[in-house]
Amino acid sequence: MKKLGSIVLSAALVALPITAMAAYQGGDVKDGGSISGTVKFKGTAPAPKKLDVSKDKEVCGKTPKVDQSLVVNNGNLANAVVTITDIQKGKKIEVKKVTLDQKECEYHPHVLAFPAGSAIEILNPDGILHNVHSYSKVNSPFNQAQPKFKKTLEVKVDKPEVIEVKCDVHGWMHGWLVATETPYFAVTDNSGSFKLTDVPPGSYTVEVWHEKLGKNTQKVTVKAKEEAKVNFEVAGK
Amino acid sequence: MAERGVDQQEEKKSYGSVFVIGVALLVALSLWAFLDDNVTRRPWKGIQARFFRLDYSKAQAAYAEEDKKLQADSKYQEIAKKLAERQSSLSNGDLGRKLKALESEEKQATVKFQEIDQKVKDVKSELEEAWYEHDHAVQQKRDPKPYLEEIAELDKRKAQLDKQLEPAHARREQLREEIKKIRSTTKEIEDELGKITAERDKWIRVMENVMLKLGPVSFCCKIPKIQQVSLDEFDRNRFDQPVARVDRCQTCHLAINRPGFEKEAHPFKTHPRREVLLADNAHPPEKFGCTGCHEGQGVAVNSKEQAHGEFHLWEAPLLRGAKAQSSCTSCHLDVQKFAEDAPLLAEGQRLFEQIGCTGCHLVKGYENIPKIAPSLLKISAKVEPSWIVRWIENPHKFRPRTRMPNFDLKQDDAIAIASFIWSQSREEGDTWTQEHPIPAGFREGDQNQVGKGKKLVETIGCKGCHGFAEGEFSTPLGKEKDLVPNLKDIAAKVGPQWVYHWLKNPRGFSPDTRMPSLRLTDDEAIAITTYLMTLGAKSDAVTGIEEKLADPKNIKRGESLVRKWGCFGCHEIKGMEKESRIGAELSTFGSKPKEELFFGNRTDIKETWDDWTYNKLKTPRIYATERIEQVMPQFDLADEDIKALRMLLGGFRERKVNQRYLADQGLRVQQVVEGRRLMQQYNCVGCHEIEKRGGFIRKYYQENVTLAPPVLNGEGEKVQSNWFFGFLKAPIPIRPWLEIRMPTFGLSDEHTNQLISYFNGLSKVEIPFAYIDDKKIPPEHIDAAKQLVSKDYFNCFSCHQQGDKKPEGPVEGWAPDLTLARQRLNPNWILKWLKDPQKVQPGTKMPSFYPGGPDNILGGKEDLQIEALRDYLMSIGKGAPAPTAPAVVAKAKPVK
Repeated sequence: MKKLGSIVLSAALVALPITAMAAYQGGDVKDGGSISGTVKFKGTAPAPKKLDVSKDKEVCGKTPKVDQSLVVNNGNLANAVVTITDIQKGKKIEVKKVTLDQKECEYHPHVLAFPAGSAIEILNPDGILHNVHSYSKVNSPFNQAQPKFKKTLEVKVDKPEVIEVKCDVHGWMHGWLVATETPYFAVTDNSGSFKLTDVPPGSYTVEVWHEKLGKNTQKVTVKAKEEAKVNFEVAGK
Repeated sequence: MAERGVDQQEEKKSYGSVFVIGVALLVALSLWAFLDDNVTRRPWKGIQARFFRLDYSKAQAAYAEEDKKLQADSKYQEIAKKLAERQSSLSNGDLGRKLKALESEEKQATVKFQEIDQKVKDVKSELEEAWYEHDHAVQQKRDPKPYLEEIAELDKRKAQLDKQLEPAHARREQLREEIKKIRSTTKEIEDELGKITAERDKWIRVMENVMLKLGPVSFCCKIPKIQQVSLDEFDRNRFDQPVARVDRCQTCHLAINRPGFEKEAHPFKTHPRREVLLADNAHPPEKFGCTGCHEGQGVAVNSKEQAHGEFHLWEAPLLRGAKAQSSCTSCHLDVQKFAEDAPLLAEGQRLFEQIGCTGCHLVKGYENIPKIAPSLLKISAKVEPSWIVRWIENPHKFRPRTRMPNFDLKQDDAIAIASFIWSQSREEGDTWTQEHPIPAGFREGDQNQVGKGKKLVETIGCKGCHGFAEGEFSTPLGKEKDLVPNLKDIAAKVGPQWVYHWLKNPRGFSPDTRMPSLRLTDDEAIAITTYLMTLGAKSDAVTGIEEKLADPKNIKRGESLVRKWGCFGCHEIKGMEKESRIGAELSTFGSKPKEELFFGNRTDIKETWDDWTYNKLKTPRIYATERIEQVMPQFDLADEDIKALRMLLGGFRERKVNQRYLADQGLRVQQVVEGRRLMQQYNCVGCHEIEKRGGFIRKYYQENVTLAPPVLNGEGEKVQSNWFFGFLKAPIPIRPWLEIRMPTFGLSDEHTNQLISYFNGLSKVEIPFAYIDDKKIPPEHIDAAKQLVSKDYFNCFSCHQQGDKKPEGPVEGWAPDLTLARQRLNPNWILKWLKDPQKVQPGTKMPSFYPGGPDNILGGKEDLQIEALRDYLMSIGKGAPAPTAPAVVAKAKPVK
């Protein structure tokens, strides 16, 4: 019972900032600055696990696959999502179509970030059966089949949420859809670096989220037309 | 003596002061009477006036808000402007002038038309006259010629007039049409505007509703009036005759069935969950009133205390908020489905049925609940004698979460009771022990077997019911009790010989047990036995226990103690089969006035039904005095559980509600209630989620829920009843890759049918059996479906097993054998499932293939494709033999 209570509590804590925060207002930004930096992994990263491709090997097993849930390159952390959590006003949100590719039974990119309300085009270039199963709570969850004949599939994510996506046909396939409330987001690449542009001058909280390492935040002050630097070093749990 | 007219002094006397006082008194009295009549004794008048003002001001604010929105709405502005322009143009612009000219022209045209029309009519009359004269002349044999001339003359005149009449008429109609056109354009704009302003203007009606209208003027607020609902034949009087019940609650609770008052204080608050609870298909207040659920004195309006029945002369005081749940059972047979609206009541009923209350107390509607505790017919073959003595002394010491209550006995008494039940079971017990020797392969403490046994316990489903460590449990019973024993100290209680045979065939030992067989092989049973024997240490022997148990004096004393404490209420004991319940009947306990409750010498407990009942359940012997003994044992229930039980007890009333107010109590509802009891007795919810509750074993499968037992919400609709029957009798593996096993419960035909009726009742299944006529399946459907399931399309066998053909990849990605569908699945359910699997079973791995079917099969018609798939599934299992399960038939002895 106690455990359940804490789950409910933590769920409420997670949901709270989304509902309690005033809606973001987009407009023109004059004299905006930028925030840039790198995200590093603290300590030595474990060697990535090899994935057991046990199905549809002729397509999925063309190249060996490794677990993408913790990718570290020379100490730089990839696939981390950087956002500003407390920005109320800033540049316009541009909702556009983003793409999630399932080439060779792997999600590309592993973490896909986009502003809430965007449409996601999901590709099936290999011509085998996949299903796209979202484990969302804020948005209504979907689980859609994408058979061979369906080269593309479109889904929409309307509300901000971090959503896990899996394919039940290929148990190892696993990725993330991160729908953000504001247009200030970036996903780190192999160099661990990110850049948020057109940020109105002011003080903000910058957050780094990673599927395995959780959340880390830092305060940063942005001056007009200047680049503010903020570097993260995220420890393994 | 003073006499008027004689005594001068008397003449001088004045009574003015008496009159003044008299008049003053009369005025004061009249005022008081007026005040008392209008204010003191009619508090509701003030309350209503307050409500009307509140209603008015809220409506005013809402109107203002909507208006503000409209003012900001460009579409509204545009139309309003258009209308205003048009109206001003109509009243004094071009359009107005045109309209005015048209109207005056129309007037002239009308006059002209009417003049001509009148002339025509005159001519017609003259013609009539002329024809009359003519006919008359003919009949009198006179010369009709002059008349004919006159007629010809008149006809000519009429023809001339007719020529004028037609254009005059057309002219008038044309003018009228033009006027109408001008006006209707205005009306169209008005209608368009009305649509946009409807949200705002509805508040005008709300305001008008509380206004007092006096001819042309109206002002806030109207004169208060008693609001009364009369429920014909709702109650029965002492002579068992139907009488009406009158509710005037809504005289003050004016917004109880109106949205928008959720945040107001009482009495103006909206009813919680109004849209559900007061809906037309639930309890519309105009049909059910308020006191049907909430009690109180519905007719009273002259004070809050009286209306709420919260004074010493009224036996049924107001049931506030959640307390009204007590009343559900007055009209509803099935209350457990109200998990959301009556959670305390539902929980209370589960507790009442499962913790053994009915063993001692008779309650109407709960007479047939089977004894909840193990049979003691062979107890001597099962437990350690020293353990049983300690257990009888205080079971909570060994297992705090056990259902068995604590009778708080001295060791002497415990030994006596043990002696009696031991002596009663010895004969049967000894025979059983002789017939069931310990298996040769059993080695106590064999580490290899312990490991194997532990793994089996964790994987085959034992944990769906039992806990094996401190704090571990599956199905909870209230807040602090376990429905099924925790086995963490099982070695202190029983030995390996009994455990082994019990595991292999529970019904062989106890024909009515709810413990199922898990179809264990001998090796598996030995492994689990070895593991269980490592849990807990053997208990210390009570000195001289064997002799004490055999002592005839103890046995004799034990018999009378068993009768006194009513052990046979829950346990089957040889020789006690005919004993009746030892507790008081509780069928009308909820309507007992406090005067009938025995408070003993307690002065610290408030004299109310609520307090009496709470304390009785908390400390059952609290009202005992030196002279009056109480025997109810201690259950150690949590406060929340006591409150839940009290909620149910409160509903055990003397009330007979008229048929027309009752909820459906038909066969289907009875079957659901009966079947659910059975389902709970066998603890199906330990593993399966049913009615959105349960599946408690899932907590061990959080890493991979697909390996957990399936969710059974809507199962009645999903499977065919004949398949379901066979499956419950002898389960077959539907998902053979799962390590967890559906056990064999050894259910009787009657119980199996009851369970199926329960699931069918929940799903409102009308037709439980389905016949598939292969001849009626269109061949083109089969061809199309074969294509659809193939690798090029849906690739169903990527996950689904097909007969002996297994899918690729790890087992957690597998799905049931599709050749089972013909026997197992309801054809209509398959359609529903294929259309939207997530809707049928949220979170399922089965993805939605529709909408999105291929365009080139069956003309791209998705409904046809789904039907074709259904037909195909119904045809492929045709030749497949029904899989057989390892048969474990309980060697049940007939119940004596």
